[in-house]
Formats: sequence, structure tokens, C-alpha cells
Amino acid sequence: MPLNTMLLSALLLIPFAGSLTLLLWPGSPPPQRFRLLAITILVIQLLASLATALVFDPSQAGMQLQELHRWLPGIALDYSLAVDGLSLPLVLINAALTLVSAVITRDIDKRPRIYFAMLLLISGAVNGAFLAQNLLLFFLFYELELIPLWLLISVWGGSNRAYAATKFLVFTASSGMLILGAFLGLALLTGSVDFSFTPVHSDRLASGGQLLILITILVGFGIKIPLVPLHNWLPDAHTQASTPVSVLLAGVLLKLGTYGMLRFGLQLFPEAWAKLAPTLAIWAAISVLYGSLAAIAQTDMKRMVAYSSVGHMGYVLLAAAAHTPVSLLGAVFQMVSHGLISALLFLLVGIVYRKTGTRDLEVLRGLLNPEKGLPLTGSLMIVAVMASAGLPGMAGFISEFLVFRGSISVFPLATLLSMVGSGLTAVYFLLLVNRAFFGRLAITPASADPAADARLDVQLAPVAPRETIPALALAAAVLLIGLVPAGLGRLSEVATTAMALLSPRLS
Amino acid sequence: MPIIPSELVHGHPAIGRQELRRRLLAGETLLSDSADHLLEVVGVLESYGEVLDAYSRNLIYQAEGQFLNPVPIFKYFNGDLNPARIWRHLNHDRINFEYAEYCQKAMLWHATGGLDSYLDSPEFLDGCQRIIAAKRRRDPLLALLHPLAPGFLPELIRSAATTHALGQFWRVMSDLFLDLAAAERDGRVDSIATVVEFIRAGLVAAAGQPIRYCVEIAGESFWVLPPQAGLSFLVDVAVPYVEAVFLRGTPFLGTVSFNAQARQISPDQARFAYGALYADPLPTMGAGIPPSLLMQDMFRHLPEKLHQWYRQRSRGEGDVRVKICMSFQKSMFCVTDAAIQGTMPHPLDSDQPQQRAANEAYADAWASRLDSARTDCLSD
Repeated sequence: MPLNTMLLSALLLIPFAGSLTLLLWPGSPPPQRFRLLAITILVIQLLASLATALVFDPSQAGMQLQELHRWLPGIALDYSLAVDGLSLPLVLINAALTLVSAVITRDIDKRPRIYFAMLLLISGAVNGAFLAQNLLLFFLFYELELIPLWLLISVWGGSNRAYAATKFLVFTASSGMLILGAFLGLALLTGSVDFSFTPVHSDRLASGGQLLILITILVGFGIKIPLVPLHNWLPDAHTQASTPVSVLLAGVLLKLGTYGMLRFGLQLFPEAWAKLAPTLAIWAAISVLYGSLAAIAQTDMKRMVAYSSVGHMGYVLLAAAAHTPVSLLGAVFQMVSHGLISALLFLLVGIVYRKTGTRDLEVLRGLLNPEKGLPLTGSLMIVAVMASAGLPGMAGFISEFLVFRGSISVFPLATLLSMVGSGLTAVYFLLLVNRAFFGRLAITPASADPAADARLDVQLAPVAPRETIPALALAAAVLLIGLVPAGLGRLSEVATTAMALLSPRLS
Repeated sequence: MPIIPSELVHGHPAIGRQELRRRLLAGETLLSDSADHLLEVVGVLESYGEVLDAYSRNLIYQAEGQFLNPVPIFKYFNGDLNPARIWRHLNHDRINFEYAEYCQKAMLWHATGGLDSYLDSPEFLDGCQRIIAAKRRRDPLLALLHPLAPGFLPELIRSAATTHALGQFWRVMSDLFLDLAAAERDGRVDSIATVVEFIRAGLVAAAGQPIRYCVEIAGESFWVLPPQAGLSFLVDVAVPYVEAVFLRGTPFLGTVSFNAQARQISPDQARFAYGALYADPLPTMGAGIPPSLLMQDMFRHLPEKLHQWYRQRSRGEGDVRVKICMSFQKSMFCVTDAAIQGTMPHPLDSDQPQQRAANEAYADAWASRLDSARTDCLSD
């Protein structure tokens, strides 16, 4: 059997087997050993993902490296995996960011075995969801990542973790139920028990039926993305989650929503999608503007970054609504660049929090101080916010440019409003940088005596180089994609173009 | 939000005006006596002495070797121009002579004391005209420049005079601070009080030392600061220097910036309080701006004992320039203390009411002036 045929299964097996190994590891080794083991497994997973990218033929639009095994024929649940230009970048980013999450996890003294096992389980489930070619199999993997993530928030989260974790579970479980309902509804209405990905079945549906299922899918994935007004769970989840979990949540897990929307919305219901597209574009613009304006109002750095995610995910919806070849390529770029940039932002906020004990923008000042502050962290934060605001030379620019360029001819108003949102990104992130990183170093609220405040000596522990290496790697990736976007573009262009041609053109 | 750990933020209470006055009148030192303070002050003054030696030599070279050179590109090389030195200079492997120039400019702009009075006198202007006439005969650029901008060359001479005077002042101070370190090593100095006394004695000994400046043009000597001007070390240079650099404004680049348009700077120069004794040792602004050129220079010459002491505290060498600045501020309070003690109108143990009242008024004026200074560094 050629190795290629096992590659996708390996992407599932490596993290799942790794997770099981950690859970069954004998004795009580020190936490660092679990961390090292998890990192080793994730490096192997990253190498396997890169190997997949190497054998992937970007000139073909269809699914590649297919694996199909009948599993439960009675309910049409097949073990069917494949990869295309849409899912491959997401598989790569999943491997990379889970590795980053494991690397930046330090000082886990509470149940490290379970923590790292859950991290691996999530990564495997996410790979499964991106690679699944059967609706029920997708749903299984989609649901499989919920419980580990809930555990990661509720056990290793902040002081209000129980509330945030429950909220996350209620929202995302509802998302899962809606998606399952839509899949079952599709089978029920078409009278078919074939759950493989193909728009053929949806063609048999009447227009009303298609719209109903598509709306259900959109709401289901809209919760996960999240889109306004379904976003309520995300800021709380981010605020209470530890930094590595936030990196994973923003960088990878939100992409399940956008991926699902493209794969099961646009690809399965191209006719209905075209009808809903104008509404979706307006929804995207509202999401972008609301997310950006809400971010401006935040004083917690992490909540600000979380709301920025709400805004930036709106660009993907806008691109999907326009579904031109350029906009869909932009959507892939946006998913990847948002994954990297938001992971970088959360990572840096995590460093600030670990060193200062606060993320409050009304308290933090002057962290860019070259001698006693966090100068490298601050410099990387400036790089991250520049990338997020879409400055040329960085990944954010390429993705936003492609999204806007591809969408403006179809939905000029929604695109222009979204461009305003892009401008607002600069506003709130400049507020963040200006408040937290410029001025005289301070980590306590201003008192009534400014002279006394100016005499305070702040003793922050320095940031060790090993703490900054993951952030440097992410920043390098953001710059690399910004400067050499052709690599990612080549990987996805054919697939996104084919996807764009599925649905009727909009004028 | 979690509670910020208290060990991350330290605040020392500032010493108030009454306490400053009390210490001055009681003959106590402004800086509290402790082993750490002694180590910091003597160590940092030793490194300062080394740096002042370099500053002094360069300022005197500039005033003499680059006299009336409108484009002094190689002024920091002390006449030793070779490729290796230029390479080291470009790699910033050098003393920041710019700091010395900034101090000279602070003295020139704040313009107090006998030196400034002489620079405004007709005698000085006459001397300038003679020097310019001699120089113009041999220098076509100056021959062209002077008629076009008649105020330019006298201003250059005025600046050169301040440069030379500061060079002479720092020559004395450099030797004094290096002697202080030697005295501490051989046990003659063992407390902050003896440090202040050593500096006071040094200042008093040098007080009457004349300040003179002569340039040579085509083999002929010209006085810029002639003996007849009667300028002396303490009154005409040391006091204006303290006024300009300790009290009014120190060019610690990267420290807190002030916005004149927002009225954060007094329009009255005499009410400026941005000198070394008032400066925030913590640099602000963006990354990459040095806390101070002087601190960089002193870091190159730190005595090992003090270097080791810094390594063991907070970020070690990561924030060493801030720690040097803090120690430097303490040492400058000692120098100020010595200057105040040395210029006290009457002996502190005088039992005559008039003399006591004069002393009290003097101490009051200083306490008032230092009230808003960084007196938080004076306690343990």
C-alpha cells in the first residue's frame, strides 16, 4: 500500500494515539515530561501535515489522497477522508498552532497528563473535521473537540471559568445540534441516506427546502465562527481560557465555522447560497462593524483581541457571500492569516498578563520600556497589530486585499462598510498599543498624586528568549505570507476557483 | 482582574521640605548612610570620574584643536584620526562625547554666573574681534562667512569658551572622583558623611583655581578667557554648571519628555526643574532609545564590585543603565550636599542669632528648591 494513501489517516492517528499514550502513561512523571511528549507528537503531526502538502497536487481542483472505508453502512457513516485546497491550509495551521499551544504551555501543575491529552485530542478532531468527506463523520469530529475544549477552559481557565465554559458549551452544542439537524434534514428531504459531500442531493430539493437547510447550517456555523449576534460566548471564553487555549481557539477552532460554512453552505447549496448572498454580505458588514466597534470599547486586552476576531471573521463571510474566485481565495488567506495573527496577539497578551498580572488597558502603561518593560513583546505586538490592521507586507494585507478586491464588484456597499471595519482595526489596536506600551512604565492605576506615580519603580520579570520564540516564529510566518503569498495562493487557488464556479454568478 | 503582586511595584516616599531643611541645618547628609549607598555612590563616581576624564580631554581638544571650525566633523577623535578609530566610532564602540556637548550647551543656554557675565562683556567681544580678524586672514571660508553672518563667529567663540571652561571643571572633578574611590579603598572614606566631606574639601581646595583659555593662531596667542577676567573654578564655572545641569535641565535622552505647548515647561528658565536631581531615571518613549548617553558611558567603566551588585538586583544587566542612573542621582545629591555645605554662609555650630538666621534662610532656599526633586532616592 503506498504511503500516500495512509497520510490522512496518519493525521488523525498521530494525535489520537498520542492522546491515548499520554492518558495511559504509567506512573506519575513530572509535568515537563508530558509537555515534551506532547510537543514530540505534535512535531510529528506537523511533519505529516507538511508531507501531505508536498504530495498534494495544487493543479487539481478535486479531492485528493482519498481514503474510504465503510464503517456503519446502516446509517451511511463512512470513514471517508480527503483533502483539497480549502482544507489543506487549515490542516497545516492546525498542526502549527497546536504545536505553538503546547510549546507555550508552562507551569501546568494541575493534571498535566489530561491537559496535554486534551490538546492532542482537539487537534486530531479538528484534523478529522477538515478531512472528513462524510457529513456524519464531520459531525462526529466537530462534536469531538467540544468536550476537551470545555475541559481546558473549565479546569485550567481563569477565576470565572465555570461560567465561560458553560456558556461555550451551550452555544457550541447548539451549533452542533443545528448542524446535525440540517444534515438529517437533508437526508430526510431528499430521501437519501448518502451522507457524502456532494451537491447532487441538494439539487433534488425544492428551493424552500434548500433555503431552510442552508439557513440552519449558517446559523449553526455562525455560532462557531462567530458572527454577530451569535458571538456572545467568544469574549468570555477567551477571557477565561489560558493563553495556549486562546491561541488554539482563535487560531484553529473558529476556522471550523468558516470552513463548515464554505464546505456545507456554499458547496452543498450553491443555488440557495446565491439567493442568500446579499443578506449574507450585509450580515458580514454588520459583524465586521459591530466587532470592531465593540473592540474599541474594551479595556481588557484579551477581550479586545476576541472582539477583533468577531470583526475579522466577518471578512470571510463577506468573501463567501461574493463567492468570486478572488474573494474565495481571499477567504482562505483570511482564515490562515487570522489564525496566525490572532494566535500571535493572544500569545503576546498572555506574556503581558503573566509578567504584569493584568490585562487592563486603564492600568498598563509604558511596557515598551527598553530597560524595565517588555520591549521585544511590545515590538512584536506592534508587528501583530500592523498585520491585523492590514498593513502591506504582512499576511493581513494580502487577505483583506483579496477579500475586498473580490467582493467589491458584487457587493460594493457591504465591502465598503467592511473596509471601514478594517480602518477601525487600526483604531482599536493603536489604542491598545498606545495605552499599554507607550508612556512611563506603570502597572497600577493612576493615583491622585501624579508625582508619586512618576516615582514608582516597577520590577517586571524579564521575558526569557524561550518565551518569545513561538511569537517570533508566528511573526515570521505573518511576514512570510505577506511577502511571498504565492505559496499559499498556489495551494488553494484552483480549489477556490472551482468552488466559485459551482454557484451562479452574482452581478 | 487579579490583584497585582505588590513586589512588582515599589515606591519610596519623597523626603519633604522640612526634613531636607532639618538635615541641612543639622549637618546631616541628604543621602542616608548605608553600606549599599556607599558602594553605589563611590562606585558610580569612580566610573563617572573615568568618563569625565574622557569628556574633559575631548572638550579641551574641541575648544583648542577645532577652534572656529564651522564644520568640525572629526571633533570626537581628539586629533587621533585613523581607520581603526573611525571603524570603532561607527560601531559605537566609543564614549558618547555628545553628552558632554549637551551639558556644555545647557550651560551656554541657561547662562548664569560669572562666566556668562564675562561672555556678555565688551572686553570679550573686543577679544573676539581680534581673534576673528587674525583667523580670517588665513581662512577664506571664515573670511566669507563673517560678513554674511557677523554674529556667527563670536557665538562660536562664546560656545568654545564654555566648552573649554567645562573641560577644565571636569578635569578637576574627574581627579576628585577617582581620588575618592582610592580613598574609599584605603579606608579614609567609609560612610556617606565622609564622602560628602571628601567632595566638599575637594571643591573648597579647587575653589580659587583660575579658569583661563588661550588659543593659538599662526603662532600668535590670543586670550579668550584672560587672567584679567578673574574667573575662578567654583563661583564662575562649578556653580553655573550645577545650576544648569543638576537643577535646570539634564540631557538624559529618553527620559520623560515635556510638552512646552501644553505649558508643562515654565517659560521662566530660572524656574526650570528638569535637572539631574529631578530626572526620572526610568526611560520612557519607545524601544531602542537609550536611557541616557551618560549611563551607557558609565556602564563601560563600572568598578567590578558595583557591577556585581547590579547583576544581583532586579534584571541584572538588563536594566543596569536605570540602576546606574539611580545611583548617579544619589551621588549627585552628595555632590550638591557638599556644595551646599561648602557655601553655607556661616558655620553650622555658630551661636550668633544673625548667623543662624542666615544659615536657616540659605537652607530654606535649598530645601524649597529640592522639594520637587527625586528625593525618594535619599532614604534606604
